[in-house]
Order: sequence, then C-alpha cells, then structure tokens
Amino acid sequence: MKRYPIRRLKKHRRVLSITGWLMAGWLLMAGNLAWGQPASVSGTLGAVGSDTMAGLVLRWGEALKARFPDINLQFQASGSASAPTALVAGTTRLGPMSRPMTETERQQFIVRYGYPPLELRVARDALVVVVHRHNPIDTLTLQQVDAIFSTSLACGAPQAIRRWSTLTSTTDWPYGRIALHGRNLASGTHGLFQARALCDGGFRLDISEHPGSSAVVAAVGESFNAMGYAGYNHLTPMVRALRLVDEHGDAVAPDERSIQQGNYPLSRDLYLYVNLPPNESLPSVEQAFLALIFSEEGQQIVRAAGFVPLPKHLRDAQRQHP
Amino acid sequence: MTPPRLPFSRQPLRHVQDRLATGLITAGGIGVLLAILAISVFLIWETLPLLAIGDTFSLAKLSPLAWGTLKAALAAMLFATPIALGAAMYSALFMSARLRSRLKPTLELMEAVPGVVIGFIAGLLLAPWVERHLASTLMMIIWLPLSAALAGYLWYRTAASVRQRLPLSWAGLWFVPWLAGMAVLAMWLAPIIEQHWLGGDLRRLLDQRYGLDYATRNALIVGIAMGFAVIPSIYSLAEDALADVPPTLMEGAQALGASRWQALWKVALPTAGPGVFSAVMIGAGRAVGETMIVLMASGNTALFSASPFEGLRSLSASIAIELPEASPGGMTYHLLILAALALFIFTFMVNTLAEIVRQHLRRRYQRLGSTL
Repeated sequence: MKRYPIRRLKKHRRVLSITGWLMAGWLLMAGNLAWGQPASVSGTLGAVGSDTMAGLVLRWGEALKARFPDINLQFQASGSASAPTALVAGTTRLGPMSRPMTETERQQFIVRYGYPPLELRVARDALVVVVHRHNPIDTLTLQQVDAIFSTSLACGAPQAIRRWSTLTSTTDWPYGRIALHGRNLASGTHGLFQARALCDGGFRLDISEHPGSSAVVAAVGESFNAMGYAGYNHLTPMVRALRLVDEHGDAVAPDERSIQQGNYPLSRDLYLYVNLPPNESLPSVEQAFLALIFSEEGQQIVRAAGFVPLPKHLRDAQRQHP
Repeated sequence: MTPPRLPFSRQPLRHVQDRLATGLITAGGIGVLLAILAISVFLIWETLPLLAIGDTFSLAKLSPLAWGTLKAALAAMLFATPIALGAAMYSALFMSARLRSRLKPTLELMEAVPGVVIGFIAGLLLAPWVERHLASTLMMIIWLPLSAALAGYLWYRTAASVRQRLPLSWAGLWFVPWLAGMAVLAMWLAPIIEQHWLGGDLRRLLDQRYGLDYATRNALIVGIAMGFAVIPSIYSLAEDALADVPPTLMEGAQALGASRWQALWKVALPTAGPGVFSAVMIGAGRAVGETMIVLMASGNTALFSASPFEGLRSLSASIAIELPEASPGGMTYHLLILAALALFIFTFMVNTLAEIVRQHLRRRYQRLGSTL
C-alpha cells in the first residue's frame, strides 16, 4: 500500500523529474515516521527462543512478509533457555523469551560482546488458575493457591489445603481431594508459577504434569474436582479462570484490562532480547520487525495470538529505543 | 570332495553374489552390535559426573520414577497376560484352522498401532469415560472373566444338538456376542448397584471410607491402554511356541486317553513353557520401554503409591518430557541420562533373558523331533 506509489513514481522518474523526487522523498519520510525504516526491505529475519511465543513471533513475521515479500523468515522455537545461548553464540540477533534473562545469562552475553543485550517488552501474558466450568468456587488468595499447590507453604499459609471442603462452604459438590494439574519441570510456566505463586517453594508431588498448557486445560475441563494452572492464552470455555486477591485485598479477574495494567497478581511480560551494539543501528529487516511489533497492527496481532497488548505508555517509550 | 577354487575372475557370478551378500550381512550385523555398544558407552560416559559426585540425591529423584515404570509395566502385564496367553492356547490348540488363519494375522496387525495413538485415545477418551463410569468399569473388570467361565459351564450343560451348532473350534465367533451382551448387562446393572449398595457414588465412598484418591489418569488406565499394546506381541510369540509343539506328542497323549484339556496342561504347556515364558518377558520388556502411552495416560506424578487409582511417572516418560528443555551438562541432563541408562540396562536384560530361553526351547524341539 505504501510502496506502490513509490514504484510507479520511480518508473516515470524521467518524466516527473524533480516533482517525482520530491514526492518520493516525502513518501519516504512519511514511511519513516509511521514505520521507522526505509520503504523497501529485504533480507533474512532470524529468531531463536521461547516456544510460548512461537505463534506470536510467527504471526509478526508473516505480517512483515506480507508487506515485504523479499524477506526470509527463520524461526526456531525450542524454549526460552535457548535464546541466550543463541544470542551469545551469534547465530541470531533476536531472542524472544517468556521470562527475563537471569543474571548469569546476561553476564555471559556481556563477557562475549562487552555490552548488555537490549531488552524489550513486547507483550503481556498471565498465568491463570483454572477449575471445571461448573465449579462454584470463584476467588482464591495467593496464600490459598500456595497452600493448594505446594508442600513448603513459603507464602505464609498456616496449613496445606488438600480437600475442597476446606475451600468452599458447599458440602455437596465438589468433594474429596483437589486433583491438581500443571506443567512439566522444564517449562517456563512451571518456573514462573513456582516463583510467583509458591514464593519459590516446592511443588506437591501429586500434581499431574502435562507437556503443554492446552493439555492442562483439557484435563481440568474433563474432571469435576480438578484445579490447574496454565497460560492465559490457552483458556477454553471448558474451564473457568479464578479471580485472585491482590495485595490491596481486591479480587482481580484475569481479563485483558487487569493484565494490561499489571493488577492481576500473576501477570508477566514477554520479552524480546536484541543484540544491538551501542551507537549502531540494526539491519533494516530487524528494524522493520521491531517497528511492526510496537505499531498498532503489531499489538493487534498480540491480541489475536491470545496474549494481551502492552499498555500505551510502555509501547511509546520503547518505540524510541531502536 | 570340494571342487578346486577358481580365481576370482573365473568364478561363476552366483558365487560372487553369494560372497558379497554374506559379507554385507556380516558387516550389517557387526554395525548394529557396534551401535548398541556405542549407545551404552555414551550413556555411561555421560553419567560419570553424577557417579563421581556420588550423592544420594539422584537416587532419591530416580526411585519414584523406577517405581512408576515397574507399576505401569505390572498393571499392563496383569491386564495383558491372561488375555494374551488364553488367546494363544485357544488359537494354537482348539481353534479351527480356517478361523485361525484369519484371526492370527489380524491380531498381529494390532501391533502396528502406534503407541501415540493408543496413548491419545487412552488419555483423552478412555480416562474421562472411566472417571465418569468408574462403577461400570470395575464391574466389567470383575464380571467379564466370570461371565466367560459361565459361558463355558452353560456350553458344557447344553444338549448335544446345540453344542454341534456352536462348536468349540468356532467359539472365537459366537463368544464375542456373548461378551458384548454381558458388557451391556454390566453397564446397565452398575448404576443400580452403585445406587443401592454403594451409597450413590463410588468415588465418594472410596474417598470417605477408604481414603482412596482417584486421579483421572492413573495406573488402571495405563494398565488397560498399555496392556492393549502388549497383547499382540505376547500372543504372537506364545502362539508360535504352542503351535510348534511336535504334533506327535499331543497325538500320543490323546491316544493314551488324555482329554484335550489334559493334553494342554500336561503336555503342551510344560513343553512350550520356556517359549511362553519368553513371550511374557518380551511383553514386559515392551511395557517397560513404552513411552508415549505412559506419558499421555499416566498424569506423570512422581509418587510412591501402590493404589491403582493414583498416577505414576515412568523413566521413559520423564526423559521424553524433560530432555528437550534440559540444558546439556546441567544436573537435570545428567539425571535424565542416568534414567536412560537404567532403562537401557533393564530392557536389555529382559530381552536377552527372553532370547536365551527361546534358543533353549528351539534346541529342545530339535532334539524331540530327531528322537521321535
């Protein structure tokens, strides 16, 4: 849409001469303002990192390719832990991660290159605690979540909660023990839930571990007395996400607004790490990619992928960066 | 007298082909052996750091997984062995040849069903169904074997004219509708029994009276699903062993007045015993190594529990889940490699034992064949 006028103008350059050049220059500037990159872009866009963000990064890449067909996309989604390794090894300049880099990972990067990686927040996500859709329970405090899922009670709950009768006043249903479902040890979701909901305590042993968030949600949706945790973008009508009580004592539902504002206690940021030497600018493909991410269209893609767009001030602040 | 050896260029083409083929096959065999050796060397090499630390941490981490593996295999064998061996005995010694020639390949075809598919069906369809119909399922597990015995008794008591219509050698066909009918009966009766004698809800009863927890994905589900996967291999090998019992032995026993049942128990089974044993061992080896079914049907909870209604976590499933995200050289990585080593040793031993026993049997048959 933006490049056709330029091409046509270029074709008739001789005829239009000065007027053409002026208009082309003006369009380029307009393009620069809206997109932050020259209007014609080609090259290879590579990224290595989080599998949570795989769908999102791919959608961004496809949107970019729809605009600039000369771009080659190369994405490798093998877990957040693979991003720092690939960045340090120099096999990629972009590393999407569903958690912030640890201090050791950052140090490794600095030792190799002499400057820290550029850290960008590109979207918001949240962990939700889900129960069967007919379950009468509505709200939990974080201490209760800890008492249900952990053995260590690191968040200060007086005792572990094992049975539904401890939680709900209805003695009729659900009954018996709470059947717990969660993610496997290696996933970022598992680690984040451990850090934020269990106060770095230890998980119970009898939590069923599933190889994906969708599997957790499906298992909870099938079972009346089940409870589980999963990524916000995996919610289905089979389950209901519980409201959690924040530090002010208000019960906050995990909806788009509360996650965007960061009020929901288990909301998190999704990151993109960029290998950008100081006082240098990125190749045009990566510049176009970053510009797309922080544009209105890019944030609509975030919503389409099931995550939550960034709040406007954060987006504007980071747009200046690259 | 061997003919004089010709120079290579003068040998007939057939000889050259023979020697080429022999060489290739030998090389292939040696290659496979080397690969197995290389795998074990790699596994041992990678676990050396752990063994060098010599801590008990890894042992404490691995023992629930080893228990889970054994529990899953045990559940599967409990489900599969009676069915597979019963089927093997019947089809080797009683079934009509025409029916057998069709049924045996069909059953062996079941072996080709991928574990992922069985695990998928078990985890997503069977597990929720059993959870909702727990009483019916337990009732069927108890009632179907009993109803089989009942069918045998009724058949024995019926008039000879009916017995000729329903011959024993075709029982494989008329027995299926009987079982289906009995399954429907159990399904129909179970809610009534649950309502009147079990307080309306079996799961609540189990929970309140016996403190038994019921997990959706549990050892019962794994046993049924993996048993289904193991049945064809046990059946096929046991059937071969039984069918290869020299017919002269069976005929001799029957000529001396033994009934078919006596001939089976006193002659065929003792003779083919090692073969049947090795069939069961091979089945156990597969049950121990099976990954996807346990992964998808077990819930992957690393528990030390003997309850059939609680989940488990096996060595192979742990490796499948955790290895892709374990960073090479880390603690988790070495633990997983140790798990792989344990699994490798276990299946290797089971399979070797089964193979040795089978070789024994083959030699015994050859001796029997030559003396008779």
